[in-house]
Amino acid sequence: MNVDVEDLLRKGMERFTDEVQAPVGLAERAARARRRRRQAVRVAAAAGAATVVTAAAVIAATGAASVPPAPPTQARTAAYVITRVENALAGQHLVFRGHTTSGGEPSITWAYGPQNRFVEFTGSGCGHALPDGSCTNTGGSEPYLAQGTALIGGKLTGVYVTYFDRKWSGGGSPYAEPASACSTTAALEMGGPPVPTDHWSAFINATLACGAATVTGHVRIDGVDTTKITGSPVTVRLSAGYANVVREKWARARWTLYVDPSTYLPVRMYGSTETYGGPAGSTRFASVTDVQWLRPTAANIAKTLVTIPPGFRHVKSPADQ
Amino acid sequence: MPQDQRLENLEQFLAERGQGLMRTAVLLTGSVDAAEDLLQTALERMLRQRNRLHGDPEGYLRRTLYNLATDGFRRQGRWRRKLPMLQTEARGPADPTAEVDLRDALVRLLLQLPPRQRVVLVLRYWEQLSGAEAAARLGCSENTVKSAASRGLRRLRELAEAWPDTGGQLHDMTATGSQGS
Repeated sequence: MNVDVEDLLRKGMERFTDEVQAPVGLAERAARARRRRRQAVRVAAAAGAATVVTAAAVIAATGAASVPPAPPTQARTAAYVITRVENALAGQHLVFRGHTTSGGEPSITWAYGPQNRFVEFTGSGCGHALPDGSCTNTGGSEPYLAQGTALIGGKLTGVYVTYFDRKWSGGGSPYAEPASACSTTAALEMGGPPVPTDHWSAFINATLACGAATVTGHVRIDGVDTTKITGSPVTVRLSAGYANVVREKWARARWTLYVDPSTYLPVRMYGSTETYGGPAGSTRFASVTDVQWLRPTAANIAKTLVTIPPGFRHVKSPADQ
Repeated sequence: MPQDQRLENLEQFLAERGQGLMRTAVLLTGSVDAAEDLLQTALERMLRQRNRLHGDPEGYLRRTLYNLATDGFRRQGRWRRKLPMLQTEARGPADPTAEVDLRDALVRLLLQLPPRQRVVLVLRYWEQLSGAEAAARLGCSENTVKSAASRGLRRLRELAEAWPDTGGQLHDMTATGSQGS
């Protein structure tokens, strides 16, 4: 490829930093840090060099009580943050509830251990869906399909329910998430909304542990200064069958997690998948999921299971729906 | 000048010029977090030198940012080497988005270059300084700047040449890119 590397580098630098803002209060923060350092030096000079470390520690501790807490952006390394998120996910025994918006079609995901339920609703523009799945453009949003685990005969079973044609399929093992998103194929999962997964937290945890993500900044969400963790973008060739359907050859997935710095649990997820490389041009699908972590009450745990509505017809496979 | 007034002036200065400084700091460090730390450290140094500083503080801050970046990155080398920042896999033949991908990849590779090479490339292609100006900013010879720029650009060109026709694999280039200067 004949490219002007220097020109591309300039453009890349421009793009890489175009949303960067100077943090407010940096001068005050610098002045405070300098005061502490100066004070530590004075104490050390008075008490002897051997006490430097202790004095600095004492000043840091007392300083924390007398000044506002340092912003979470300060001195946090990517390794530190990601390790904390891994620990938080590994140690959590909470119910995951995600509310996803993507192209006007909302969905809700519930997960707890091996149980999970993903429900997609029709968008407000679609309204009621006919048995062939098409929109009537009348009425409000309604459940369109559900996917996840159900208790059938006392056994956890993977199921797929379509509300518009009142059918369900399944009966096999629940869908198992790959061990992590470190493989390209599995990484595509992260480009979409959180579809039903087995042990979702463990999946995210393993993904972070394999180094496919880095801390890229801080964003305020609902008044909370969250830490932004961005996954490495992944590009894969689409399978021949799927490529024929969408008339494109490649897919590129990107994802970002926003974690609460006090709990280190994700509070928002962003995923996007773009397919391109065909005559139809590129198609981009992006979703934002707001996450809540709920106490594992019986009511919340029950919501992590798909229930088959009475009267729905059982069919052999999702292809029949 | 009273300290409160001084800080107020500094905040005012940062409100006007801070974004440019932060953008440079991000390019030097690779993340907003590290950039804030770098800029804060530079501000601390400036506060320490305030009685000896006259005129526009931006020049002093920029010089300090570059010097800190050149010195400080060595301490971060171990962690940086662990970051598989170039994980692109299964690239295809040339497509309309290839240039955008390459542009992003170049910046990622820039962040993996040895400190002096990175600083020199930021000075040359972000600040758009001449070789002589960059040398003066860094307090080194123009030949040192030329040599560092040449080595850094060579690495970027290697990436650009390998980019579209690799048939699927762009090898992790971090293992060789973060040592020495």
